[in-house]
Amino acid sequence: MRRVWAILVAGVFLYFLVGQFLPIIPTFGNVDLFARVAFDIINKSTTTNYNAVEFKKSKDLEDGSANVVTSIVVNYRSFDTLGEVSVLFCAAIGVGILASMLKSKKRIEFEEHKVLRISTGIVLPLILLFGAYIFIHGHLSPGGGFPGGTTIALGVLLLMLSNNEFKVTNVAKYVEQSAGAGYVVIGLMGMAIGGVFLMNFLPTGVVGNLFSAGVVPIVYTFIGFKVGAELSNVISDLREG
Amino acid sequence: MLREMVGYSLVGIGAFFYFLAGLGLLRMPDIYTKLQASTKATTLGTFSIALGVGILDFSFLGKAILLIAFVALTNPVAASVMLRAAYKNKAPVCKETVIDECGTMVDGNGGDVK
Repeated sequence: MRRVWAILVAGVFLYFLVGQFLPIIPTFGNVDLFARVAFDIINKSTTTNYNAVEFKKSKDLEDGSANVVTSIVVNYRSFDTLGEVSVLFCAAIGVGILASMLKSKKRIEFEEHKVLRISTGIVLPLILLFGAYIFIHGHLSPGGGFPGGTTIALGVLLLMLSNNEFKVTNVAKYVEQSAGAGYVVIGLMGMAIGGVFLMNFLPTGVVGNLFSAGVVPIVYTFIGFKVGAELSNVISDLREG
Repeated sequence: MLREMVGYSLVGIGAFFYFLAGLGLLRMPDIYTKLQASTKATTLGTFSIALGVGILDFSFLGKAILLIAFVALTNPVAASVMLRAAYKNKAPVCKETVIDECGTMVDGNGGDVK
């Protein structure tokens, strides 16, 4: 009976996929691109007069981030970045499943070292601060959500190596989930306000200021929290077994 | 003039200590002495190069002092942890070694918390 159901469901999916998309696929060489992709997006430019962009002076550009990479990654290509975040999420799930399939459920105990433990207390706040700095200033300087979150996860790893009582609690999972949901909510807000998913709907401000580039710092803050919590969970999964 | 002399000589001292670090890595017999040579020389080399550049360009001096503080916080701890890991895994010592003070401590544990 289950096989019949499976074949039925697969058949329905196949019918919809082929039936929906077969007529849309044009013959080779006859693609009308403007009908497929929005004309406005193809003709997008940063400003109409691109000689006029000056640091700390230009106002209200289409994308106000001083870091060009960020302006591509979180503004023009933001949907792809959402996919990247989900890829990382899948990787974290995979590590969790593999770690739970291990035969020995023993928790790895490290031998504690007094020097490391004391110096971790001094260095750890600086590491966390630096990670937060990287992702908050992602639209101004090299960096962004992914390296910032990784730096924070490194701080968690240091804490784990130096302290046997430390455990990553469920708070990390909640932070990760709500940060990922926040990214999607920002995207939906762009859809509600501007009509395009993940649109930059806030005012972009002056190039080079901390409060500029509209939605980019908010998205990078979400990504930073998400990546940091996710990698902390990966480390914790590998340790707890 | 004096400022430039002091700055460039500090940079030269730093470069010399980097050279000593490389020489120590090549010439020392076992891992303990190798790491001792490289970390001590690297720490001092970084200190004096950063301070020298800070003296040459005063706008960089504050950053240089911060840099020195961070290197002083992290580098010795990293060396200590690495050497302790080597000691726990019973890395071989060279035959000129006379004394093993870590093994003769109270619990023979080399400064563990337990």
